[in-house]
Amino acid sequence: MTKKCREIESLLSAYLENELSRDEADNVAEHLNSCPECRNKKEKIEELIYKMSDLQEEVPFFLKNRLYNIPEIVEKKKPANLLYFPKWLAAVVGTIILFLNLFYFTNIFPPVNREMHSFVYSVEKFVVKTGGWFEKIKESKELLFFTFFNKKSMDLKSGRRGQDLAIEKDFDKGGKNG
Amino acid sequence: MLINAYSKSVYNIALNFFAERDIASDVTQEIFIKIYHNLDKFREERNFSSWVFTLSRNYCIDYWRKNKKYLLNSQELDEKISTGQPTPEDNLIKESEIEILRKKIAQLEPDLRIILILRDVHDLSYQEIAEKFSIPEGTVKSRINRARLKLAQSYTREGA
Repeated sequence: MTKKCREIESLLSAYLENELSRDEADNVAEHLNSCPECRNKKEKIEELIYKMSDLQEEVPFFLKNRLYNIPEIVEKKKPANLLYFPKWLAAVVGTIILFLNLFYFTNIFPPVNREMHSFVYSVEKFVVKTGGWFEKIKESKELLFFTFFNKKSMDLKSGRRGQDLAIEKDFDKGGKNG
Repeated sequence: MLINAYSKSVYNIALNFFAERDIASDVTQEIFIKIYHNLDKFREERNFSSWVFTLSRNYCIDYWRKNKKYLLNSQELDEKISTGQPTPEDNLIKESEIEILRKKIAQLEPDLRIILILRDVHDLSYQEIAEKFSIPEGTVKSRINRARLKLAQSYTREGA
């Protein structure tokens, strides 16, 4: 292949699509008349361009049906805005939890480990304290409500009292018998 | 409406890119799922058809890269079958000229392939292709010329 052939080759598409200036087009035409190899290439490309226009096909029926269902599927799959939790945030939270565990259960950084343990200890203390308050509130509630409104607790209390009296009586009897 | 307007273009890009109907159907479906998922990301100042074409092109090239090994193997297998001695069975299922041309297109490099399909199958102008893919018009012209020359060469060999 000569240098001229290579130059003409780069212009073949533009020549076939009438995109060259008159001088350039004349130059290509002249070369094509004298070079059978380039002429053959030009004819092949011409044939290809013609054939390629037949490559379009209709969409198969089954595919069109599948495509019509897509909007519905996508709508269903979309997460609700309230429940949406971005992936990067999940990754950040996960990493933080991992490092906290690492610092808490190992002694890689003693000051951090110490701080974390003292923090956990103060949290525990707080929980125990509030638990105590909660119990107290519960007890006071029991006193208030169960004394006047809760029949079951009243029954239980009276039942226990009755039992106690019966035992006392038995004891008295036994005492007398004895 | 969106499906009616673009399904044919997207399907034909995929079909001529991969030269296999099953893959083309799957890829078309995936492209439309992507389109519907990203509809809210589409900016109105952009041309919608350009957006669809860019998405299709990117998906086809990505799919090809991910499944290159398998796709190339199946193409090589086809080559072996077609160059071997034709059996009566082969003659019965002889591929049409169009299928052969499709397979030859599918052997071009992905960048050349997609531009050639848009120009010669979808009849888009050089300027439209350049705008859609944000590349200079001169690059589009030279790529199309290169793709046509390569295709002419391989198609001649097949015909010989």
